[in-house]
Amino acid sequence: MPRSSLIIEISISVLLSFLSGYLMLLVMGYDASRVFTIVLSDALRNPHYLMIRSTPLILTALAFSIPSLTGVFNIGGEGQFYLGALLSLMVSYLLGSSPLALATGCASGGLLGLVIALIRVRRGVNEVVTSIMLNWIIYFLLAYSVTMHLYDPMMPYQSVSVPKAARIGNLDLGPVSVPLIFPIAVLTSIAMYFVIFHSSLGYEMRVVGSSPKSARYAGFNPERVIVISMALGGAMSGLGGSLLILGHTHAIDSTMSGLYGMGFAGIGAGLLGRNNPVGIVLSSMFLSLLIIGGEAAELRAGVPTELADVFIGIIVIVLSIPHLARVIVSRRVAS
Amino acid sequence: MAPPKPTETAKKVKVAILFDMGGRGDLSFNDMAYLGASRAEKELGVQIETLTPKSLADMVPVLEDLSKRGDYDLLVLVGFLWTDALNKTADKFPNQKFALIDASTRVQRANEVDLLFREQECAAMVGVLASSMAKSLGGNKVGAVAGMDIPPLWKFHIGYLYGVKYYEKKTGDRIDFIWQYTGTFTDTQAGYNAAMTLLQQDVKVLYGLAGLTHVGMFNAVKEWNERQGKIAALAIGQDASQEWISPMNIPLSGSKRVDVAVYTAIEMVVRGTWKGGIVTLGLKEGGVGVWDLEGVREFATLAAETKQLKDMTPDDVVRIVESQRKAYISADAQRIADELRQRIVNGEIKFKMPATHEEYDYIVRELLAGNLDAALERS
Repeated sequence: MPRSSLIIEISISVLLSFLSGYLMLLVMGYDASRVFTIVLSDALRNPHYLMIRSTPLILTALAFSIPSLTGVFNIGGEGQFYLGALLSLMVSYLLGSSPLALATGCASGGLLGLVIALIRVRRGVNEVVTSIMLNWIIYFLLAYSVTMHLYDPMMPYQSVSVPKAARIGNLDLGPVSVPLIFPIAVLTSIAMYFVIFHSSLGYEMRVVGSSPKSARYAGFNPERVIVISMALGGAMSGLGGSLLILGHTHAIDSTMSGLYGMGFAGIGAGLLGRNNPVGIVLSSMFLSLLIIGGEAAELRAGVPTELADVFIGIIVIVLSIPHLARVIVSRRVAS
Repeated sequence: MAPPKPTETAKKVKVAILFDMGGRGDLSFNDMAYLGASRAEKELGVQIETLTPKSLADMVPVLEDLSKRGDYDLLVLVGFLWTDALNKTADKFPNQKFALIDASTRVQRANEVDLLFREQECAAMVGVLASSMAKSLGGNKVGAVAGMDIPPLWKFHIGYLYGVKYYEKKTGDRIDFIWQYTGTFTDTQAGYNAAMTLLQQDVKVLYGLAGLTHVGMFNAVKEWNERQGKIAALAIGQDASQEWISPMNIPLSGSKRVDVAVYTAIEMVVRGTWKGGIVTLGLKEGGVGVWDLEGVREFATLAAETKQLKDMTPDDVVRIVESQRKAYISADAQRIADELRQRIVNGEIKFKMPATHEEYDYIVRELLAGNLDAALERS
């Protein structure tokens, strides 16, 4: 699909979802224009928050999108994110080094993705099933570690903190303070763009995704490509968990509120960014903007806190319609 | 602090209530905080706005943003999850006032007040009443299903045990005491298991001090009674009035009035009595206590509104609770509890706050040996 029509399609979808959101607010009896102004202006007024908010999302979106290029559905981003966060926390706490912690986070997420992919290509177990099971295993492992072993005695509902030396800080640029984890995420995304669109591995991935048969015919090994793409995706999610812990929350709370759902939110951001790493940066920032704006709207306009969730839901649904339409049309043509 | 300037009294005081991730609708902590805020809105004429962050990751940016804007005279942070975020923010914004509810940063700041509760005082009242309930059930063992081994729970432990020993001393009846940590505030199954074990050891009254975990304890007591075809054991709730969950089996709840804490914080700003530091609320301030029937009705009504009160009306709940309290709390015990309450309110009895686990262990040991003064500050 040509890029220009893709952009038009996404723009129309976003406009349509805004329109339905607007109508929904009116029906619910709110001053819709005011809510919209608040949602859009508040997040833009606070770029630091926006950058921090979108960082983990960019990476979990990549974790979904890279494997999906090869036709694999990685919903294990959630578990990979937890594992990256947990191990980075432990490494930074014990060794006080951020590069080492980042590498650990990345590697552990990648390993988890690798395991899921191997079980799929070797034993034919659907990756969705394995991912969900692993998500829960890691969830409880994390909850157990944080509440029983890693807790901070002064604040027992929270894990020990990342030591000051291992934290990733901010870059002060006068009016804006840039959280360094954000450029790391953006650069990673750009690197992934080159891997996908300008490397032979990326080419193989895209061919495997569109037709495993022709990939085999062309002499590629689809299994190998699938395993690599899942490992790469997992590494992205693990890195996301790492960055969040090292650069922002510095600890994990026993309710896991900072981590929970981040992997799943990445699926939405990946779909909205049409699996393109550059698109993902934009879509992650856009979704974060809605979340931040939603908080502001609750505070200033009294709308329910779930508003942002509803909006994001509408956007994801509306955006999937054109794709669905294309699938139906192509089936018609085929038959 | 300077007295309020006349221009300030003309302007409406603006307060933002920042919940933790649970947000409203929990029929407990956050809803109670909102209750206090809306009372302040009515009685003190302040303007209230609320915000529920999506995660721990949002807390610091939200606090910084709101402080930077300076739109609010006070930011009320509901719950311990805010502790770390506040610690990271408060020093950067000396002109922004913060109130942290039910937790403390342990740092003294002029722009921050931490509101804590003297949980020992309500637990002591509960201890007396629980002892009487055990006696009425033909036993002499009371117990508790507690959450994690952390300082707020130490306070409950000491208070509860103190109340039991106080009853013992006043009546001469021997009461055995079992305290059980589950290590969790969120696992109902753990609460159920712990409660069942205690019930099998013939514990007659169980005090739930473990958040969601002790909902499992309620289930265990209910099941235990159903199995025996009679009321063989009773449960006691804590924080919000929890009687409505099963009024036949839960005739009593200790109260921890988050609403009073929120109201108190706002009042300090409105009346110009703001002073940074730690404020503790106990029986005297109405911050803790035992829920009266009016409170029971209020929460039963809330539960009915959110369709959680299944086949009863709030009136039914109040009626059952009233009759259960009459049946299982003797007039004598009520008198002892009232007397204890009076002595706490007028400052005759003042509980210690153990600073270390060793000190806590020591106090518990002394109390078990009958030395009631070990739990008290020397006055």
